This record gives sequence, structure tokens and C-alpha cells, in this order.
Amino acid sequence: MKIKNLILTAILTAMALVAFTIEAAIPPLTPIYGIKLGIANVFTLFALYALGTRYAAALLFLRIVLGSIFTGQAVSFIYSLAGGVLSFILMILLKRFFPLKQVWILSVLCAVMHNIGQLLAAIFMTATVQIIYYLPVLVISGIIAGAFTGLCAQLVLMRLKKWSDSRYS
Amino acid sequence: MKTRTWIIILSSAVIVCAVLWMFILNSSSPSKIVGIYQDGSLVEKIDLNSVTDEREITLNGKFGKNIIFISHGHIEMKSAECPDKICVKHGALEIGGTPIVCLPNKVVIQFEETPYGADAKTGAAE
Ligand SMILES: [Zn+2]
Repeated sequence: MKIKNLILTAILTAMALVAFTIEAAIPPLTPIYGIKLGIANVFTLFALYALGTRYAAALLFLRIVLGSIFTGQAVSFIYSLAGGVLSFILMILLKRFFPLKQVWILSVLCAVMHNIGQLLAAIFMTATVQIIYYLPVLVISGIIAGAFTGLCAQLVLMRLKKWSDSRYS
Repeated sequence: MKTRTWIIILSSAVIVCAVLWMFILNSSSPSKIVGIYQDGSLVEKIDLNSVTDEREITLNGKFGKNIIFISHGHIEMKSAECPDKICVKHGALEIGGTPIVCLPNKVVIQFEETPYGADAKTGAAE
């Protein structure tokens, strides 16, 4: 059982990395740093609900480290890590309040938190408080992107739950 | 909480942020005094309205050069050797718009008087 979970985590990490790398290759729509879909988040959410906190944490950390290496942007590593860690802490703290059919709401909150974390890192790195200008846009983009990625994870999780109830808590 | 409650909360958040963002974009500052910052410290302060001759400022950062172009009432990041080029794509600095930020090279170009009246370096209200 444990090996099965380990293998599943590895596969999910690989898939998250592919999603992350493809997304990083698409030129940004806006001049504002941090506005993106964050498809890799689908895999983190899925792992959290389907496998548990430890597996999701491993997936997230590996994805951030390897993703930064693959895309060759060392700077974005710090922003990814700041956003990723903050949103993941929020995710595991709030998970018990959100049943399967509300996964997308948890995802929205985490995506907003992720963007706030990135913004805080940017403020710290550039020593410029003025970047806080971006906060309203980043909150909106976080809500939209979080709802989308959350729904993706939620739909897969609900289909799987129908198929087999045994693995879910 | 019920899903419906959450939808109301999230929609309100979107509306509040949209209004806030419109306010930030539309609020205009009368002066055109621009500060160029690198690593959080002021490199140069320029009043764009008093600029007569076009010129360029070159800054050296961790990822190479940032070339800033200045003419009367106008400032932009002409070219940069940073990996993301977000600062170049930003275009000219607009009144009430967002500052030009080059995160990799830690360069920020912004108006000195903001709608919040905040001090650029410390963020403390004046
Ligand atoms: Zn740049």
C-alpha cells in the first residue's frame, strides 16, 4: 500500500512538473508577475485529498525545486517557494473544513494565499513596498485561477470516489 | 460553511478588488517626479517634465544590464538582460499605473508621489 502511494506520488510529481514547465514556457499575458493558472496546483490538491499531507508536501517541494531547475529561473524559485509554502500551510490547516464538493473553494483560498506569498517575497526581495499595488489584481487572478484548478482536482476526486471509496478519508 | 455563502464572499472580494484596482489605475498624480531604485536604494530622481534631451541610464544588476530610456515626460525600460523581460514588456511608466519592476535585477522605476502618499523607500505614510 505504501509503495503504491509512493509510486503514485512520483507519477503525480512528474505530471505536475510537465504542467509547470509547459505553463512556464507560455509567455505571460500581462506585465504583472504572478498572474498565471497554476495548473500544477491540481496535482497538489489531488495528492492532498487522495494520498494525504505527507505525500502532497513531498510532491509540492519536489515540483518547486525541479521546476525551477527545469525552467532555469533561479529567481522564480524564491517566489515559488514563498507562495507554495504559505498556501500549502493554509491548505492543510483548512482542509478539514472543506468536504470533497468544496475542494474548489479551498483551492481559491490557497491560490490567493499563494499570490500574497509571492507578493510578500517580491516586496522583500526588491525592498519596495510599492509593489503592493498589485495586490487587488493578484487577488482576483488567484480567485479565478484557484477556482479553475480546484474544480479540475475536485471533478477527478469525485469521479474516483464513486469508483472506490476505500482510499479516501 | 455553505457553498453559497462562500460564493457570496468570493464574489464580494472580486468586486472590492476590481474597484480598488480601477482606483489605483485612475488616480493621477500631478507631478512627474520619477525615482529609479536598485536594491531598494535610490539611484536617480528625475522630473520628467523638465527633461529636454533624450538620454539613457544603464544599470548593472545580477543578470546583466538594464537600459532605461528617458525623454520629455516619458520613461521606459528600453532593454534588459534579465531572464523574464517583464520590465521591458511593461512599456512606458504611466501616471496612476503600475511601477516598472524588474524583479530579477531588483530595479524599480516609479513616481515619487503615489496615490497613497507613501514614501517610496520605507513605505511609511508622509
Ligand atoms: Zn527585467
